[in-house]
Amino acid sequence: MIYIGAEEIISPLGDRAEQNFQAMLDNQSGISLVAEAGLNKLPVNLSKIADLDFQNPFESLLEQILISLLKKIDADIIRSDRTILLISSTKGAIENDISDQFGKSVRFLTDRFLLVNQPVVISNACISGVVAINAGANFVRAGLYDHAIVIGCDLISEFVLTGFQSLFAVSEKPCQPFDSERNGITLGEACSAVLVSNSRSVFRDMPLGLLKGTSANDANHISGPSRTGEGLFRTVRKTMQVNGISDQDIDFISAHGTATVYNDEMESIAFDRLNLTHVPLNSLKGYFGHTLGAAGVIETAVSMQMIRNNVLLKSLGFKQKGTSVALNIIEENIPAEVKTILKTASGFGGGNASLIIQKL
Amino acid sequence: MSFITSYCHLTNESCLVNGQHIAGRDSESTDSWLKQLYKKQEIVYPKFYKMDMLSQTGFILTELLKKANPKLANAYQDDEIALLFANRFSSVDSDVRFQRSYQQTSPSPALFVYTLPNIVLGELAIYNKWYGENMFAVLPKFAADFYVSYAEILLSAGSEASLCGWLDIADEQIHAFLFFVEKEGEGLAFNSENLQKLAGTI
Repeated sequence: MIYIGAEEIISPLGDRAEQNFQAMLDNQSGISLVAEAGLNKLPVNLSKIADLDFQNPFESLLEQILISLLKKIDADIIRSDRTILLISSTKGAIENDISDQFGKSVRFLTDRFLLVNQPVVISNACISGVVAINAGANFVRAGLYDHAIVIGCDLISEFVLTGFQSLFAVSEKPCQPFDSERNGITLGEACSAVLVSNSRSVFRDMPLGLLKGTSANDANHISGPSRTGEGLFRTVRKTMQVNGISDQDIDFISAHGTATVYNDEMESIAFDRLNLTHVPLNSLKGYFGHTLGAAGVIETAVSMQMIRNNVLLKSLGFKQKGTSVALNIIEENIPAEVKTILKTASGFGGGNASLIIQKL
Repeated sequence: MSFITSYCHLTNESCLVNGQHIAGRDSESTDSWLKQLYKKQEIVYPKFYKMDMLSQTGFILTELLKKANPKLANAYQDDEIALLFANRFSSVDSDVRFQRSYQQTSPSPALFVYTLPNIVLGELAIYNKWYGENMFAVLPKFAADFYVSYAEILLSAGSEASLCGWLDIADEQIHAFLFFVEKEGEGLAFNSENLQKLAGTI
């Protein structure tokens, strides 16, 4: 059995996982209109952390989340030669140094926490977080390490905002995943972490079970989703098959749901092909925006909080059906016992990834 | 136990397949070095010209490996080849170009879509119709242990072969090494010592 737990979150909604979850229960969103942020100094909706470290926010968030995570686990394991640190990020500290977006921050963490093994940065666009958690589980399952600490972190930068604006992919209003009026993403920044381990006893609170996860490429387009949802279909089918999980076993789907017209449509087609349209589903982008390399980790962390708190969180920003196939989108927070959850992600480069977590 | 059944290297001056020199840069040519290599292939794929250097490098070296070992092209199902790539500087070459575009003129969406290191995996998947596992890692230097441990994990979890690569491109300097790992085939045993030896000083 591979365990996952000790989830932590730093976002505009708070700097602890429990605080974030309470804010979400209270229908709060991290998204707000930020003046002079975008192209031509126009206002843009962003999910921006207010009090970031001025000098090196990327490094500082990684440090802060590790300190929080260590309070939830046997802190000694961080210095163990049986522990690996995986960092999921697309653009790291690009605002500090475009020519070294990760190296300096990784060295800082290695020295600061006396890490024994070389940390690995996983950079697979928007699926990075799910790929990193799966990689952590793979390393532990293979016996190469006993513990994998997985951190997802990305910041809003002029670079990334300008890029998405140049693609006309940024929504004027706060993003509305799966809604009929959705019109693009809202960018967000966040840092989230989980511990993946073969030992139950290193967790202070009850961990959850992490099953085998997979990835699959669309083999279709570098910046647009497949019209048939091929890669998403393939990764979810593989993940369900290798774990012997049927469509009836899944209680909840934490979808990717970026709120672009084509992405959400693609996901609905893939879930239809998988016979999963009956399963309660949300996108958390309405709370945090699209946090890119952090998205897979933060959305997994919130899903874990949903299991712990027996609540299905609504898909914030959704009002009416906006995909050709109807999905079972959660419209109000509902008390429910959730045992098995599916987390998916899709992104640039045609990547798709999925994982399954179970209550023990 | 798996085997490294073919490999190739590319630097700014030369291109080697299985250790044999197959082409050198013609400094008189008006074409870039990567275009020179593309024109030597017997394929027409106009999308090549839109790719950034990272993707062009991955594309060319994959074509050379397919020639050296046709099994890469035709012995596997469409989801059986895992792509496991890494480098030191992520997509910095495209990042700098995109930054220049919005600082000096207007942001170029055509450049922006290449500002992620895993885009090369997408380009390889699209051209070859590969639907398998993907991972792109950023590491401070070539780490044979990382490739050996993770490729073996992928091979024990559903993938039948793994196309692996170290693709470093920064300041127009190319340091690239691709290798193909199969469960059976002729080649060196896939272990850190052999891999480090083949990689050389990449």
